[in-house]
Amino acid sequence: MMAAAQTHRLTSGGLVDRSAPLSFRFDGQTFSGFKGDTLASALVANGVKLVGRSFKYHRPRGILTAGSEEPNALVELRSGARREPNTKATTAELYEGLEAASQNRWPSLNFDVMSVNQLFAPIFVAGFYYKTFMWPAKFWEAIYEPAIRRAAGLGRAAVASDPDLYDKAWAHCDVVIAGSGPAGLAAALAAGRSGARVILCEEDFVPGGRLLADGGTIDGLPAAEWLARTLAELASLPDVRIMTRTTLFGVYDGGTYGAIERVNDHLPSPPEHEVRQRLWRIVAKRCVVAAGALERPIVFAGNDTPGVMMASAMRSYIGRYAATPAKRIALFTNNEDGWRTVETALGAGLQVAAVIDARAEISPAHRSLASKSGFPVLHGSVSSVDGGKAGVRTLSVSLTGGSRAEVEADGLAVSGGWNPTVGLTSYHRGRPKWRDDIAAFVPDGAPPGMVAAGAANGAFGLGACLREGFEAGAAAARDAGRSGSAGSMPVADDEAYSLTPLWHVAGKGKAFVDQQHDVTASDIELAQREGFESVEHLKRYTTLGMATDQGKTSNVAGLAIMAAVAGRSIPETGTTIYRPPYVPVAIGAFAGHHRDENFHATRLTPSHHWAAEQGAIFVDTGLWKRAQWYPRAGEKDWLESVTREVKAVRSGVGFCDVSTLGKIDVHGPDAGAFLDRVYINTFSNLAVGKARYGLMLREDGFVYDDGTTSRLAEDHYFLTTTTAKAGLVMQHLEFCRQVLFPELDVQLTSVSDQWAQFSIAGPKTRDLLKEIVDPAEDLSNEGFPFMGVREVSLRGGIKARLFRISFSGEMAFEISVPARHGEALVRNLMIAGAPFGVTPYGTETLGVMRIEKGHVAGPELSGTTTAADLGLGKMMSTKKDFIGRVMAGREALVAANRQVVVGIKPTDRARRLRSGAHIIPKGLTPGPDNDQGYITSVCFSPTLDQWIGLALVERGRERIGEIVHAHDPLRGEDYDVELCNPVFYDPDGGRQRG
Amino acid sequence: MSNSAIPSSTIRMEGVSVAEFSWEVRSPLDRALVAGRHGAHGDAGVSLTEIRNFDLVQVMARRGKTSEMAKVAKARFGVTAPVTPQTAPTADATLIWSGPDQFFVLSKGGKHTMVALGQAFASCASLSDQSHARVLISISGAKARTMLAKLSSIDLHPAVLGVGAAAATSMDHTSVTLWRGGDRGEQAVFNLLVFATFAESLWHTMLDSAAEYGVTIGHSGELT
Repeated sequence: MMAAAQTHRLTSGGLVDRSAPLSFRFDGQTFSGFKGDTLASALVANGVKLVGRSFKYHRPRGILTAGSEEPNALVELRSGARREPNTKATTAELYEGLEAASQNRWPSLNFDVMSVNQLFAPIFVAGFYYKTFMWPAKFWEAIYEPAIRRAAGLGRAAVASDPDLYDKAWAHCDVVIAGSGPAGLAAALAAGRSGARVILCEEDFVPGGRLLADGGTIDGLPAAEWLARTLAELASLPDVRIMTRTTLFGVYDGGTYGAIERVNDHLPSPPEHEVRQRLWRIVAKRCVVAAGALERPIVFAGNDTPGVMMASAMRSYIGRYAATPAKRIALFTNNEDGWRTVETALGAGLQVAAVIDARAEISPAHRSLASKSGFPVLHGSVSSVDGGKAGVRTLSVSLTGGSRAEVEADGLAVSGGWNPTVGLTSYHRGRPKWRDDIAAFVPDGAPPGMVAAGAANGAFGLGACLREGFEAGAAAARDAGRSGSAGSMPVADDEAYSLTPLWHVAGKGKAFVDQQHDVTASDIELAQREGFESVEHLKRYTTLGMATDQGKTSNVAGLAIMAAVAGRSIPETGTTIYRPPYVPVAIGAFAGHHRDENFHATRLTPSHHWAAEQGAIFVDTGLWKRAQWYPRAGEKDWLESVTREVKAVRSGVGFCDVSTLGKIDVHGPDAGAFLDRVYINTFSNLAVGKARYGLMLREDGFVYDDGTTSRLAEDHYFLTTTTAKAGLVMQHLEFCRQVLFPELDVQLTSVSDQWAQFSIAGPKTRDLLKEIVDPAEDLSNEGFPFMGVREVSLRGGIKARLFRISFSGEMAFEISVPARHGEALVRNLMIAGAPFGVTPYGTETLGVMRIEKGHVAGPELSGTTTAADLGLGKMMSTKKDFIGRVMAGREALVAANRQVVVGIKPTDRARRLRSGAHIIPKGLTPGPDNDQGYITSVCFSPTLDQWIGLALVERGRERIGEIVHAHDPLRGEDYDVELCNPVFYDPDGGRQRG
Repeated sequence: MSNSAIPSSTIRMEGVSVAEFSWEVRSPLDRALVAGRHGAHGDAGVSLTEIRNFDLVQVMARRGKTSEMAKVAKARFGVTAPVTPQTAPTADATLIWSGPDQFFVLSKGGKHTMVALGQAFASCASLSDQSHARVLISISGAKARTMLAKLSSIDLHPAVLGVGAAAATSMDHTSVTLWRGGDRGEQAVFNLLVFATFAESLWHTMLDSAAEYGVTIGHSGELT
C-alpha cells in the first residue's frame, strides 16, 4: 500500500531528515514520516488527530503533549511477543516498519461500541466501583472485575515471553545531571571544564531540551549554533558522557541514582547480541536536576477533544518536527509564554483564529502583533470546546465582563503556566514548597548531594536557566573536589512570563483534570463533598494521578480545584508523596540478565559434568545443582531408582558427591579453644587424626548447625557444615572470631571449593578403597578406626584425605582430593569399584539412609529445635561455656512437654507417609488445641519395605509404642501411625563400626 | 600440593588387582570454555582468558604477628606484602591483598607451594591452600571496562582503579577478587579470582555481557 502523503508537513525547517523517509503503520493504515520524528509527530504530519479512546468513558482522544508526560496518545507498539502496551507515541522514535495500534476501542478507533459509556457518564463518577460493586462480595472476582477490565483499561500486554535481552550496569561520576536543556548543558559545561567526571542523562534522543523547539539567542548565537558548539566542547572533554534515550528515574541511598537507557527501542528489534534496554545504577557525588518544567493544562469542558494541545507541544511539533497540528489555531493562555506559540504558528504560515488571554493586561508588543496579523485578542476564558473525533470545531469563550463569543478553529493551544519537575528532588519524602509569583511548587531542599537548577527550580527564563545550571555545575564539581576553571558562563536574555493563575473554567460538559484516568473536575468536587479532603484520600478515591503518567499534567490542577472547593489555599492543601520511578520502567530491565536459567548464580560440584553424562537427575539445593538420583534404563520412576541405589549401598558399595558441605580451615594455637566456644561439645581434647560430630547453637539457645570436625594437626582443624548453612556458618564464625573472641589466636578460611569430597558407603567400601589407595595404607578397623582421619597416598601419585565417618549407618569413608582431581576421582571410583558393583547415588538415597539411621537434617534443624529436642541434649558440655548455653536453659526450652524427634511408622504397612501431617492423640478432634507436632521427614525404606518417617512430637520419647493420628488437611489424608525409636536401622551401630 | 598434571600410572602388585588410574586435572571451566571468537562480529572488544594450573595460597597473620609476617614476606619475595587493596608483583609471584592482615600468593612453577610457604611462615602465619578453590580469568580488550561495569559495582576508572589496585568484591552476586594487572600496550588488564564452583555460572554471565562487543576466548598456562 502506498503511504499517505505527509499532508501536514512543512516543506522546510525542523530537525527531521527529509532525505530519510520512513514508512510505518498505525491501526493497519500505512503512513510515512521522517527520521527524527516521534510516532506522534509523524501522525501529526499526516493529519491524524484521533489516536486513542479514553480509559473509562471511551472518549476520542488525540495528542496533548510532545513528551513523556503524555496522558492520551498511548498505543500498543510492535506486535506479537514484543507488543508493548501504553507506549507514549510522543516519545516513541519512528523507525522503518514501525507498527502501532490504538488502545481501548472495539471494533475500531472510529467506531467504538464502548463509547456508549459516555451516555452513562453521570453514574461513572468518583468512587463508582466502590459504591456499586460492593455486594455480593464473591461477585467481585468472578464477575465484576473481569467485566470492568474488559470495558475499562488500556493496552494489552504481550502474552508470549519477551524475546529481547536486558541488562544492568554501573556507572560512577562526580556529577550526574538530569536533563540536557540549557540548564543541564550549562551545568555540564561548568562541571566538565572544572575537570569533573560528568554523566548527562537526556530522555530524548537528541540533547537540547526546549532549545530544539523554542530556539533563542545564547552568547549572541542562534540556539542551534550554540547547541552544536556546546555539544562539540562537551564531546572533547574526556570524562563527560552524554547519555541520550536515558531517563534518570530515581535517587537512592548513598548517592546512587537509577536510570533507564532505551538502547534499541528506536529499532524494530535489537541487533543480535544487543539489549533492548539497560538499567543503570549511577553512583555520583553530586546531582544537578535540570529536568525542566511541564506546561500545565487549564481544565474546561471538552478540554480532551482531539486538537486541544499544550501550547509548548504545538511549538514542538511545528518548530522541531515541521509538522502542523492544525491549519487555524487558537491560543488559550494565562501567561506570556503561551504567546510564543502564536509567533511560531505565524512563522510557519498558519492562521491564528484568536488568542483568548485570561489576564487583565496584555503587552503592547502582543497587541500590535495581533493587529498586524489580523487576529482578535479576547479577554476571557475558553468555557467549552465543540468537536468530536474529527477534532476541534468551535470554542465557546466567556469574555471578561460576562458576554460570550465563539471562535472557529481546528486546533487549540493551551497554556496554564509551567510546573517545575519536582519528582527527583522529592523522592526522599521531600515536599515541594509553593511559590506565589509563578503559582507553582518548587523544590524545597533535596536528597543529599542534589540540587535543582533552571526551570526545574522555577527559573523559567533562558538566561536564568543558563545561569543557575552553570552555577550548580561549577559548585557540584567543586564539592566533588575538582578545582579546574569553569570558564565563562553562557549568557542569554530572560523572557517575560507574567502569569495570572487559572486552573478551571466553569462550563457545561465534562472537564478533565486527569485525562489518562478520566478524572473530571466534578469528580474532585464530589470527593470533597463526600469528605475525602486529604489529598492522599482524594488521589485514591478518584484515582487522580494514579495512571502510568503519574499525574504529570494533572496533579497540580487537581490540588488547585480541591483547594478552591474546600476554601483553602493550594499550599494548605498540600501535595501527595512523590515516588520513583519518574517514568514507567519495564520489569525486564530490573531483572536484566537474571531470568530463566540465569535467574540466580549456580554452583556445580566437581562431579557435575560426569553425573550429567550418567543421566543423573539434578535438584536445586540453594544455589547448587546436586545429583538427586541416577536413573537406569527401564526404571519407571524415581522411587524405583532410589530403592535400587539404597539396596546397592546397603548390600555392596556406593558413593555420593558431598562436596557441597561447607568446609572451613580453622587454624591457630587457639583453634581448639575457639571451637569449644562455638560448639556445645568439646573439641580441644580431640586427638590429632580424629573426627567428632559437633552441634552449634545460636545465641538464643536453638540449634544452628551440625557437622563433623576433624583435627588434622595440633593447630589445624577442618570443620564441616551443612550444605544449606555453609555461608552463614562461615559468617557466624568470622563474627565470633573478630568481634566476640578477638583475644583468641585463630584464623579461618573457607576451603569449600578447594576439596572434592565423596562419601563411599556400604559393606564393600574397604574392598573398593584397597583398589585405589596405596597398598601400604592400613584400612583395617585397627589401622583406621571409626572416626579416624588421615592423609593417604592414592595409586598414581596424588594424596587424599580419608575420613572414617558415616551418615548412612554403613561402613563408610569420606575421601577428599583437591577439586580439580574430583572428576578423575569419580571416574577412578567407578573403575576401582567395578568388581563390587559400585553404584553412584544421589541426594534422595542419601536422605533415605539418614532417615533409616535416624540422623537429623534440615527438616529437624529447623531453627525451632533444641539439642535435647533432637535427642542430642547429652552433648551439651557442663564443663565449659559455649554460645547459646545460657539461653538454652530458658524455661520454655527445657520444658518437659517439648516436641522432640521420634520415629513413626504407619499402622497400615502399605500406606505412604507425607511430611507436614499433624500429630493428634488418638480419638481427639484435629485442631490447634490437640496438635502435638508434625511429621518432618519421610521416605520409603527399602530396608524395612515400608514408609517410615521422623516427627517432632510432644514428649515423643516417653510415648514409644503409642498409636497416634496423623492429620493432613492439605492432602486430605487421615491415618494412624506408631511412635517408635528414630533409629530404624542397625540401632547398635555395629555396621558403621565394623 | 602441586598442580602439575600427573601422568597416569599403572601399579602392579602381587595379589592385588591391576587398575590404571589417571589423575588428570580438569579446570572447572573445562566444558564451558570454548576457545575462539564469540558474539558480535568485527574486532573483538573483549578478550577472556582462563589462566590454568597456578598455585594460590592464602597467608593470614597469627595474632600479633603481622609485622613478623611482613618481614618474612619481604625476605622471601623482595617486596612489601600489600596492607591495602593492592597487589605486589615479583618476578615469580604476585601478592594480592585479601583482607586485613592477610594476602594471597599467586604463583606458577612450584616455587611457592603450600609446603614451601608453610616452612617460611611457620612461626607467624596460618596458610590455606586455595589453588583448586579458585578459577583465574584475565579480561582485557577495548571494551573490557564497559563489560565489567555490567558485573561490578566498583569504579573501574583508570584514575580510581590504577595498575596494581585490588578489590575483594562481588560480581553478579558472586564473591571475587579483582585486580588490575600491568597494561598490555594501551589496554588495561583485569584479573579475576572466582570460587571454583561458581566459575561456570559467572563465565556464562560474562560471555553474555561481552557478546555485544565480540569476544575472543582462550586459556593459557601463563600468568599475566
